[in-house]
Amino acid sequence: MRRLTAIVVLALAGVAPSAAPQTSDWPQESPPAPLPAREATFPSYEIRTLANGLQVVVVVHDEQPAVNLRLMIGAGAAADPDGKGGVAALAGQLLDQGTTSRTASEIAETIDTIGGLLSVGAGTDLSFVNVLVMTDSFELGIDLVADIARHPSFASVEIERQRQQVLSGLQVSYEDPAYLAGVVFGRMVYGDHPYGMPHNGTPTSVLGITQDDLRAFHQTYYAPNNAQLGIVGDIDAEAAFEAAERLFGDWERKTLPPPPSAELPEPTSRVVVIDKPGSVQTAIRVGQVGLPRASPDFLAFDVAIKILGGEGGNRLGSVLRTERSLTYAASADMASRRFAGDFMAKTDTRSDATAEALRLTVEEVARLRRERVSRFELQNAQAYLAGSFPLTLETPNAIASQVLESLLYGLDLADLPKYPERINAVTVDDIQRVTSRYLQPQRLSIVLVGEAAAFVDDLPGVGFDNVEVLSLDELDLSSADLRRSSAGSGVLRAPRLAP
Amino acid sequence: MMPVVPSSRLRWLALAAAVVGVVLTTATVETAVRPHRLVYQLHTLDNGLTVILSEDHSTPIVHLQLVYRVGSKNERAGRTGFAHLFEHMMFKGSRNVSSDSHLTLISRVGGDGNAFTTEDETVFLETVPAQYLPLVLWLEADRMATLRIDETTFEAERQVVKEERRWRYEDSPFGLLSEILYDKAYAVHPYKHTPIGSMEDLEAASVEDVQGFFDTYYVPENATLVLVGDFESAEALALVKKYFDRVPKAQHPVPRDIRREPPQTGERKITITEDQNWPLPTVIVAHHITYDGHPDAYPLHIAAKLLSDGQSSRIYRRLVYDDQLAVSAFGAGNIIEDPNLFYAVSIVQPGRRPEESAAALIGEFDRLKTELISDKELERAKNQFARDYVFGRATVEQKANLLSHAAVIHDDITTADAEFDIFMNITKEDVRRVARTYFTEENRMVLTILPPASAGRSFLRPGGDQ
Repeated sequence: MRRLTAIVVLALAGVAPSAAPQTSDWPQESPPAPLPAREATFPSYEIRTLANGLQVVVVVHDEQPAVNLRLMIGAGAAADPDGKGGVAALAGQLLDQGTTSRTASEIAETIDTIGGLLSVGAGTDLSFVNVLVMTDSFELGIDLVADIARHPSFASVEIERQRQQVLSGLQVSYEDPAYLAGVVFGRMVYGDHPYGMPHNGTPTSVLGITQDDLRAFHQTYYAPNNAQLGIVGDIDAEAAFEAAERLFGDWERKTLPPPPSAELPEPTSRVVVIDKPGSVQTAIRVGQVGLPRASPDFLAFDVAIKILGGEGGNRLGSVLRTERSLTYAASADMASRRFAGDFMAKTDTRSDATAEALRLTVEEVARLRRERVSRFELQNAQAYLAGSFPLTLETPNAIASQVLESLLYGLDLADLPKYPERINAVTVDDIQRVTSRYLQPQRLSIVLVGEAAAFVDDLPGVGFDNVEVLSLDELDLSSADLRRSSAGSGVLRAPRLAP
Repeated sequence: MMPVVPSSRLRWLALAAAVVGVVLTTATVETAVRPHRLVYQLHTLDNGLTVILSEDHSTPIVHLQLVYRVGSKNERAGRTGFAHLFEHMMFKGSRNVSSDSHLTLISRVGGDGNAFTTEDETVFLETVPAQYLPLVLWLEADRMATLRIDETTFEAERQVVKEERRWRYEDSPFGLLSEILYDKAYAVHPYKHTPIGSMEDLEAASVEDVQGFFDTYYVPENATLVLVGDFESAEALALVKKYFDRVPKAQHPVPRDIRREPPQTGERKITITEDQNWPLPTVIVAHHITYDGHPDAYPLHIAAKLLSDGQSSRIYRRLVYDDQLAVSAFGAGNIIEDPNLFYAVSIVQPGRRPEESAAALIGEFDRLKTELISDKELERAKNQFARDYVFGRATVEQKANLLSHAAVIHDDITTADAEFDIFMNITKEDVRRVARTYFTEENRMVLTILPPASAGRSFLRPGGDQ
């Protein structure tokens, strides 16, 4: 709480000419040389697979007297049934709201009484149960994880309670420019592919979710052969594996459905403005389809995107913030998932600067493909990514995350300790090759959320003649064209609910 | 330079015993796992810079944290937001570092750098591979001594900070909650404004203000340097002295003239309507409380746990789960350097009335005054504290946070570890006593913030009677 109102400066890079110092006798000098380097090695961990297919990762780390348990199920919002957006999220949210042997209140009492932390939920490709306990509560902690993941009750009364929470949460989100820009961008890039659907669904889809939908989702995807369990912290490895076997060994293997087969749409140039009158800024999002996490080109493309807008590089930050003072933050990042990915450049600028900030952003994306990156820029990006390797090994959780992520995406675990060498092996030619292959600057998906009247007339002047402007009342996230088909039946109007 | 051996006895611990009548024994609490103690050295350089060194060889990295004891409460009238705007200027170059290259130099070695401004402090931080300790010390000393201040960069950074205000606060749902709350709750103390400040004042700030602020507050005696990580203390101290001994001593003492807030003398009920970015009605019940380090602060922290930590906590259970009055509800004390607020917030569930939330929140505050909490609740809160202690020291940055907070805000570094026993010895009666002291009707403000009448897409407003 003491840093409730903390204000953070984002990392930015840039150089400007020198001026006179104020302390006259202060020496003029270059940065000092480093001390002798200290070796950073990827800490040891152990993986065993139970007979039913559950992969168990143990990282022993006794610096703090605590254990973190993380169960990852390999299905999330991308596995939502057609027209049932939000099933995975709601199922995830309900995991700790009652099991066949514990009520929601009992679960809350249990975890709070021992001073533990419990979180549940779902992402795009995974659902999760995380429990953090002091070392002396390990047995209770792992029992809770197993019970919650294996035996959720999905009781009607709890479904209605959480449904209302989701709907109320959406009401808030629909006034949040960052949320709107993100979900609209997802629909534009991925079309009808499951990755394009909002995780929490839409008000209409959430209202349509039944108890059977939730139970079917759990029955289908929550299976040991579709899961990884991380046990991390102050615990003996053998004791950890023994407990995993005891609590999860009799969990029955299931036949999993095939992964989603939906095709990704071809990138097309499209500009959508979501009109939010009264906004003082415009949220700008620019990008297109990228790469799945396991692509052999992932690393080189990731470095390219870092040069565009990440740590150790960030052309967008240099241009939009340092040179032009148009924004507080400008960045670009990859979202690389199991079956597909995207990259997105983002910034937020005052309404009347929208067209100029958009022009500069799109120009930087185009330049990344048009011009070879300089060796100096590549070296800076590599220096950050490879150099920060020791910083990624500090906590047992950070270590476990890297191992679990590798398992989830089917990556080679042997690559983990070799990350710095692999980054340093990327060449200017590699960057050129992947940007030529994957970047299509003439076919970008562009979302602008803000006060349309303040900037739409400027857009043709920066090269965007064909712009779709939608009011919030016209927006329908369940439709690929984003527009409600007829007045009165839209996604934003739904039957009344009992609170 | 004065090495100080941490004393096991705290001055405010004695105070606590005197005022509260707490019996301090060597009590150990069976229910909680004890966090490991921090091991550190404390030094003061001749120019007044406080230096804290704590070796942690678990990972080959080092964290530097430089805390200037100046925040938004040190801003003068008409210059709200200035401490934070100044923080941005610290990245605009110094004698040996060109504008905006500070963070480049750090990222180029695989490090992360950052800064933030609170009501009480401005903090600059870097985490780097251990061998780059000389670089980060050199960078911080360079800008402490020779910050470059010019009109062009100042004007550019002013625009960036205005964008930050628009983005973080003005266009974000509920983004102005703190600003509204503190403006209504305070009469004269500078906690009346939040660190981001107003657009008008950001616009009014001048380059002369920047120079004055730098000369007044960015001096060694107003700063605390904390290093935690993989180094040998003797070598690290020699490096600290190499780069910081040459920073000149301050010309004048650092001013500490903060206006005091007069006690509130009657309940205040305020209802306002926000035109923008206020999706749901919101109720805040706030009370003025004491400062960080006061004996009453500890039972207040326990009260916050009872009210709001976990799904079994009282406010969550009643407002969100049982009665479904709120989409989200929580309560906590903002216990910082000067007396601040303990407040609870309810984001009202569509179809429910704000008055129901206000009554429920007040009811929970009242219950703490009329009933003793249960043994089980007290044990739970203490276990949650033990957990926070353990997990609050997992990284070098977290360890540095604890040490700098103890040294700067408590002015007593031993509190970084010693508060644990204070918490473990809090009684049910302590919690009731502080509730009766602070959660009174005359010290209460009930603030209701409503969305504009026209707002809200009706899809989620079942009652439709707002």
